[in-house]
Amino acid sequence: MRKLIKNILLLSIITNFSILFTLFSCFPNILIPRSPNLTILQSTNILIAQSTNPLSFFGYYEGEFDQVRVSDATYNYGYNKLRLDLEENPDENVTIAANLNILKYDNNTTLNLLDFLPKSIWKPIFQPEELPEENWLDEFPLTFSDTLYLDNIYLRANFKKFDITVGKQQISLGTGYAWNPIDIFNFKQLLDPTYEQTGVNAIRLEVPFGSRTGLDMIYSPNIDFDNSAKMLQLKTGIGSFDLIGSLAQYNWIRTDFVLGEIKNERNLIGGAFVGEIAGIGLWAEGAWNQLEGNENFSELVIGSDYTFENGLYILMEYLYNQNGVSDFEKIDFNRFLQYFNGEIHSLMQQYVFNYINYPLSDLVQLSFLNYANLSDNSIAINPQITWEAFQDVSVSFMGNYFIGEDDTEFGLQDWGWRIRIRGYF
Amino acid sequence: MINKMLIRRIHTVFLIFSISMLSAQEAIPTGDELIEKMTAIMSQEASKALIQQVITTSSGRERTFEFEMFTADEGEKTLMRYLKPSAAKGQAFLMLNNADDIWTYFPRTKRVRKLASSSKNQKVQGSDFSYEDLGSGDAWKNEYVSTNLGQEKYAGGDCWKVESIGILEKDPAYPKMIVLVRQSDFYPLSIDYYDDNGNIEKTLILSNIEIVEGIPTALKMQMVNHAEGSATLMKTISITYDWAPPDNFFSERTLRK
Repeated sequence: MRKLIKNILLLSIITNFSILFTLFSCFPNILIPRSPNLTILQSTNILIAQSTNPLSFFGYYEGEFDQVRVSDATYNYGYNKLRLDLEENPDENVTIAANLNILKYDNNTTLNLLDFLPKSIWKPIFQPEELPEENWLDEFPLTFSDTLYLDNIYLRANFKKFDITVGKQQISLGTGYAWNPIDIFNFKQLLDPTYEQTGVNAIRLEVPFGSRTGLDMIYSPNIDFDNSAKMLQLKTGIGSFDLIGSLAQYNWIRTDFVLGEIKNERNLIGGAFVGEIAGIGLWAEGAWNQLEGNENFSELVIGSDYTFENGLYILMEYLYNQNGVSDFEKIDFNRFLQYFNGEIHSLMQQYVFNYINYPLSDLVQLSFLNYANLSDNSIAINPQITWEAFQDVSVSFMGNYFIGEDDTEFGLQDWGWRIRIRGYF
Repeated sequence: MINKMLIRRIHTVFLIFSISMLSAQEAIPTGDELIEKMTAIMSQEASKALIQQVITTSSGRERTFEFEMFTADEGEKTLMRYLKPSAAKGQAFLMLNNADDIWTYFPRTKRVRKLASSSKNQKVQGSDFSYEDLGSGDAWKNEYVSTNLGQEKYAGGDCWKVESIGILEKDPAYPKMIVLVRQSDFYPLSIDYYDDNGNIEKTLILSNIEIVEGIPTALKMQMVNHAEGSATLMKTISITYDWAPPDNFFSERTLRK
């Protein structure tokens, strides 16, 4: 009986949370009626009053300093970041979590984006021949402002037959390491493919059918149902392979320098697998994207990894993005903006990513990241050393060296380096 | 007459001696029998434990971890979740099929990644225990051929010294192991793990053996890594064998919890 009451209470919270969440997301300016709010508070209060676990606080401090040499200019920039996680388990099957990020930028907080782009790309827009020279522009400032924001805030409840997560939550999809064609919610940073990703407003329902099979439904609300992202994933396992099938539909919004943004309805049919043959890890992830009012395209990632007896780890991944351009001269300013904003996976069509890691000792890891743009033959080489200086404190140094002609993706930059310190608490 | 009686007595004594020798010979267990009995004690149907792990690196620095560990099907399934320190909190590992299939969960990115089995002999969180050491359950009895090398005194007790040689086709974790099995209850007290060159790579020392719910349990296990000069001590804070995993507990769903 107590269990039944608890379940009813939980469902009441989730239902109210979901209704409020959807309303807030779809109609951010509407006045929320008082009663559901009160019901949530009352229900949450009852659960928290029953809780035996204290509210946990944890997180990390991260400081980074970067120097980069590009287009005959040297930029110094960096930031100090504090991430504070809060987590409460009012019941063993319920988690309420949130995290607050404080970011303070230092040194050059405004970069000229044009320094990071080939002149042939921005000249027609900023310095068109038809305009007199005194009207030409040579700056497109990119400013990093100090921020304080609530990244994730969600409630997760585990029922016997399903799990539900409501709120702003981190969603990571796919089997790829550097790129994820089926992940419509995130964009990975080239030099930090394993860095945490920002939260997504969503309701996520996960229904397991056994230990390795399950259905995953994600609804990320926007101004109305048509503009909201809907995703359905079926996961299963066969032998040592995990398989995923995905369907998604959403409005794909990209930045446009003139129009502000362009929008296309995007329907995605995708699939992925991860497994191994004779100790060699193998994975692939692909998606076919049908775009309303634009050309359909597909993306494919295939990868492999292996760990040698001495701890040497090697990973290789290949990306084919039909949406990317095959010739660097065809890249326009918008494509760069979209890439910087994480709206497209790559500028061009074919890439290779390599990652090598070797433990020099229990506390020191030496690694080597490398991106090669096969479409324009430019390469980014990034050796990195990470030292666990103390328990919960790590220091890493990464060097960046770029090879390629000036009018190529990576060749435009000369070199760079960064030092990052992270301390967990 | 006296001579006849004497001869008969000598015959009887000889007969008794021979029989006792024969039965004593029969009482010596084979290496495979010893490993069978040892793995039966070590690999209980299911268990749930809270463990503290202290890693002493080759430079002498100590790193302390705490994790919960769940096992089922005689160790064929294992799930570990780190509780401390902050940098590792929430990271979890799921090992199935005696660590042939490994999934790892990264709480910072909420991502589950499947590891290829080539990584199963790698260190878990920089400790001297590999995934295979922690998750291989009772695979030992099928992957090795064992020989009883005789008796040896260790830690004040009588032990059987057993040599286990890996069967190449079954891809054993180590080519050879030498185990000292306590004669009284077939509990291992020390295991030497050899590398491909025939050198002792690591030694596992089991101590503070107490009876928990009727089952001998080493509350301290120290893995000494001779090759690297490091050591890892695992202290059992709490353990129970009276635990039945809920349906589909050993799954990606539990990893994410």
